[in-house]
Amino acid sequence: MAASKFKLAKPASFSLAALIAASVALAGCSSDSNGSSANGGSAASGSSASASGSSAAPSGKQATLKVELFDRGNSPQPYTITDSYLTKYIQDHFGTPNNIKMEFVPVPRSEELNKLNVLMASGGDVPDIVFTYDSGTFYRYAQQGGLTDVTDLVNQYGSNLKAFLGDDTLAYGQLDGKQYAIPGKRSITGKYASFIRKDWLDKLGMKEPTTTDELYDALKAFKEKDPGGTGGKVIPFGMTIAPAEVDPLIWSFIQPTTDEQKYTLTQKLGSNDYPTLLPGFKDAMQFFNKLYNEGLISKDFGLDEDKKQLGQDVQNGLVGFFTEDYPNPYYADGSYANLLKNVSTAKIDAIDPFTNSEGTHAKPAYDSNGMYIMIPKTSKHAAEAVKYLDWMSQTDNMVALQNGVEGENYTMQDGIPVVKEDAPTDVTNRVYNFGDIAILANGKFAGDDEKNKQAFVAGFPSQFQADVRKALDISDTDTFKPISFGHPIDAESKYGTALQDKYDQIIVKSAMAKPADFEKAYEAALKDYMQSGGQAILDERTKAYQAMQSK
Amino acid sequence: MRGIVYLRRYWQLYALLVLPLAYFFIFRYSPMWGVQIAFKDFNFFQGITGSKWIGMDAFREVFHMQDFYRTLRNTLMLNLLDLIVSFPAPLLLAVMLFEARPMWFKRLSQTILYIPHFISWVIIGGIVYQLFGTQSGMINNLLDRLGLDAVPFLTDKTWWLVIYLLTGVWQSAGWGTILYLAAMTGINRELFEAAEVDGAGRFKRIWHITLPGVKTTIVTLLIINLGNMMTIGFDRPFVIGNKAVLDYSDVLSTFVYRTGLESGQYTLATVVGLFQAVVGLIFVLSANFASKKLTDEGIL
Amino acid sequence: MNNRMSNRLFDGINLILLTVSVLICLAPFIHILAISFSSNRAVTSGEVTLLPVEFDLHAYRSVFSDMTMIHSLGFTVLLTVLSTVLCMAMTIAAGYPLTKRGLKGKKLIMVIILITMFFSGGIIPEYILVKDLHLLNTIWSLVLPGLISPFYLIILISFMGGIPASLEEAAEIDGATPLGILVRVVLPLSLPVLTTLSLFYAVGRWNGFQDTLLYITKSELYPLQLKLYQLVQNNMITDLTANEGPGVTRAAPESLKAASVMFATVPILLVYPWLQRYFVNGVMLGAVKG
Repeated sequence: MAASKFKLAKPASFSLAALIAASVALAGCSSDSNGSSANGGSAASGSSASASGSSAAPSGKQATLKVELFDRGNSPQPYTITDSYLTKYIQDHFGTPNNIKMEFVPVPRSEELNKLNVLMASGGDVPDIVFTYDSGTFYRYAQQGGLTDVTDLVNQYGSNLKAFLGDDTLAYGQLDGKQYAIPGKRSITGKYASFIRKDWLDKLGMKEPTTTDELYDALKAFKEKDPGGTGGKVIPFGMTIAPAEVDPLIWSFIQPTTDEQKYTLTQKLGSNDYPTLLPGFKDAMQFFNKLYNEGLISKDFGLDEDKKQLGQDVQNGLVGFFTEDYPNPYYADGSYANLLKNVSTAKIDAIDPFTNSEGTHAKPAYDSNGMYIMIPKTSKHAAEAVKYLDWMSQTDNMVALQNGVEGENYTMQDGIPVVKEDAPTDVTNRVYNFGDIAILANGKFAGDDEKNKQAFVAGFPSQFQADVRKALDISDTDTFKPISFGHPIDAESKYGTALQDKYDQIIVKSAMAKPADFEKAYEAALKDYMQSGGQAILDERTKAYQAMQSK
Repeated sequence: MRGIVYLRRYWQLYALLVLPLAYFFIFRYSPMWGVQIAFKDFNFFQGITGSKWIGMDAFREVFHMQDFYRTLRNTLMLNLLDLIVSFPAPLLLAVMLFEARPMWFKRLSQTILYIPHFISWVIIGGIVYQLFGTQSGMINNLLDRLGLDAVPFLTDKTWWLVIYLLTGVWQSAGWGTILYLAAMTGINRELFEAAEVDGAGRFKRIWHITLPGVKTTIVTLLIINLGNMMTIGFDRPFVIGNKAVLDYSDVLSTFVYRTGLESGQYTLATVVGLFQAVVGLIFVLSANFASKKLTDEGIL
Repeated sequence: MNNRMSNRLFDGINLILLTVSVLICLAPFIHILAISFSSNRAVTSGEVTLLPVEFDLHAYRSVFSDMTMIHSLGFTVLLTVLSTVLCMAMTIAAGYPLTKRGLKGKKLIMVIILITMFFSGGIIPEYILVKDLHLLNTIWSLVLPGLISPFYLIILISFMGGIPASLEEAAEIDGATPLGILVRVVLPLSLPVLTTLSLFYAVGRWNGFQDTLLYITKSELYPLQLKLYQLVQNNMITDLTANEGPGVTRAAPESLKAASVMFATVPILLVYPWLQRYFVNGVMLGAVKG
């Protein structure tokens, strides 16, 4: 017995030690957190000291302006998300002169909506400037009375801002005539282009297809003659279930529609318009089914949601034709660059083959707005927030935020900031998250539309710049914008996310059905879609259209 | 008088319980006023208490949604299959590990078997796709080389179920052995020694000593598992699932995420959560009751 | 003789089956490891399976030169140790009294605990609570809300309940108080389950990041898994990023993701082998009895 007690003593003291360690850790940590808050305090007083030290600073109490900032976990050394070249630049050029302390509140990019919702619902501690791309969220906040009406503030402090955005863009942030959000502006609204292996066409002695029929012939030839010598692995048409691959094809089948059809039959899910009910959609599905059953599109397209497999197939030289967001293949270390490493003779050319019944290359484009920038009603610094946005909208400031230091990061050529390709990494890192900092702009701004495009193209590796420009122009041809009622459709915000899945399901099931079963598969999937909210959206939109007409 | 004696003897036990109970009341019970959101038309800026009461309207709405029943059915189906396939796997593996010699091999394999638990589902999803894809998946490439037809592992519903279950076993079995092994080390060694003297074979030893030795653990885990029949993780069905098998892979958690959280409809999410909680509690209490009757073991 | 043969056969088959299982579990890990050492081109072309292609240390160089990653690792270790110790202390404090069959009010307390396994207030009230307690942006917001897992508590109770009552009674007759019995008899005998639950708590804390998404906005309090999540997940939300239009972000190279996965996973993987001695040696019930 005594021996066993002795044996047991050791573990027991171990657990006692653990308890003691716990209480020590408790004490240590509480002092630690005190310490860090003390640090925070001293940092704050330090900057206010420097603010009062500068003679230009207006007297009075320093305001703190809290601004949401997307955190993608990609801050390079030596920066952190809240302490980088750009945040310092804003503090020095906007904050300090206006006696404002800028505080950036990082929000994880992928949890943005979730976090914003929780912040809003729990009141307090919400940044003075928040934003989202989600129009449903914007409308919800506005309708539930949580946003500051900035109409007057913009008139008072936002002359540059108004000039930068223009009335068209500003209108996206209005509800019932009140300016509840300041929309960002999109510099380039094109979305998609198509890409084909020019070297394959040359080998087969074929011309670049300019119509859907010619494209089909080319795909058939790719399949049968395998000009890339892939040993039967050829994928004539690289397909995924992502919008960039399915949209161009489907929309080219949509028939000309009346205004009424456009408004009532389109379904806006998330932030995109879906053609589920528009005339011609079934023909598109039928074509999908044909392509799939003839082995012309990627077999696993229904699994490829993040386009990873497509990228892999393209750069391994297996894909003959694909559609994409227009600049995607051309990034340094992107799929074209890697394809050239794998198949040195490859040549990808941007084309515009899909034609609709009227012979045009109709394809969707973005709205001219970017994200919805909102000032919560709880904010006590709405004026400062508008001033900040006004400051940001001035061309010089915008160029500085998007491009960095002139002469080091970029050079001005004909009024276009051209990124220096040979700039060292620590220099280019200065503007690593310019897109998230310059919230007013979606894409580079240099002045007018043409300059914006040139500035964008100038950001690519020089060997691809001509190709990017060609793809960009294709993406901008025969485009149409999303339909908007100017107010939210409740059923869409309710069922939108669910219906996006159902929509994809229609495509996958229709495509993968045996040709004889197509009708059945399509109708069943469509029925499920309608029952899961499609009908509710249709009804509400029809009503909204009638209300609009009777006005 | 007896009360005083009782307290004098056991006051330390109650003292031990003070902090844990305080924890449960502060961090678990005090936020529960939030469940009233299920009966309210939630407005972000009036807060939970300020929002309008709507009674059972939200419940009615949920119970009228076709997707609710589909995802409920799938949740139960996937959990039931998991219970049949994934629940015994760690026990089997633990027995194998417990019996394994030599010691270094036992330790090494134990350490490696639990690695999959640490790989996130996003990454597992990518690997599953690389392995089982129809066009470029490694398994199908192999079948192709053998002159066999490609098998649509991920797009055919039945095959998908198999992959889903196997992935679950793979990911969790090694991790699950830890608890069983802990229980097995607690078995009195004299019993094994006695069995050896009696000349009992390995299977006999496992059947008569090892398994009875972990009976309590098995029953405890089984009861808790039954209580969790209504809940299902988000990541696994979401990542392994795809649009072609949505009829099976769509479950309550993805349903709530889609219709509730992503669009800020906390009312709907809470309604489903309450439903899951009530049913889960009923399940666990019945399982506990049944187990007490059958095995005299239980968690209450 | 026959018996020995069948024993041999058993051992052989067991060895083979375990080896196969081990290989199946190891392969994906090796795959990720291989990716972390390969060039981005080779990875995105799908050429990497179990061996690195175009061997490249670049990814690790950038992970290890990233001071925020090193800092995160330190913070995560501190957080994991702190919360594991506190969680275990609290779970033991709750669990031990509840193993006593005669304890008055036991059933009620068990029901109180069981209910929290199923019902919760939801994300908003929980956030408000943490905010009102002024825990936002402190390490405590990641420790206190998860102090006791009802599930682990129940496991602990079921294990401790299996300790022969005779042992405790013997100590009681010797004049030991309940606390003395806990420290001298029950805890030492429960070492395997205590080790197991510590591991569970530690791994749970190490791998968890959902709470940090809500409660932490200071980058110096980012745990590793949050950074990892951002790296791996943020580039995958095609639906969200579609609105950003081209050129806003580029995905992190696959090799960097893989290297970060390794960096964030290997430290916690090493905990178990270290703890194994508590399993293998276990407790000698017999010795105690004797």
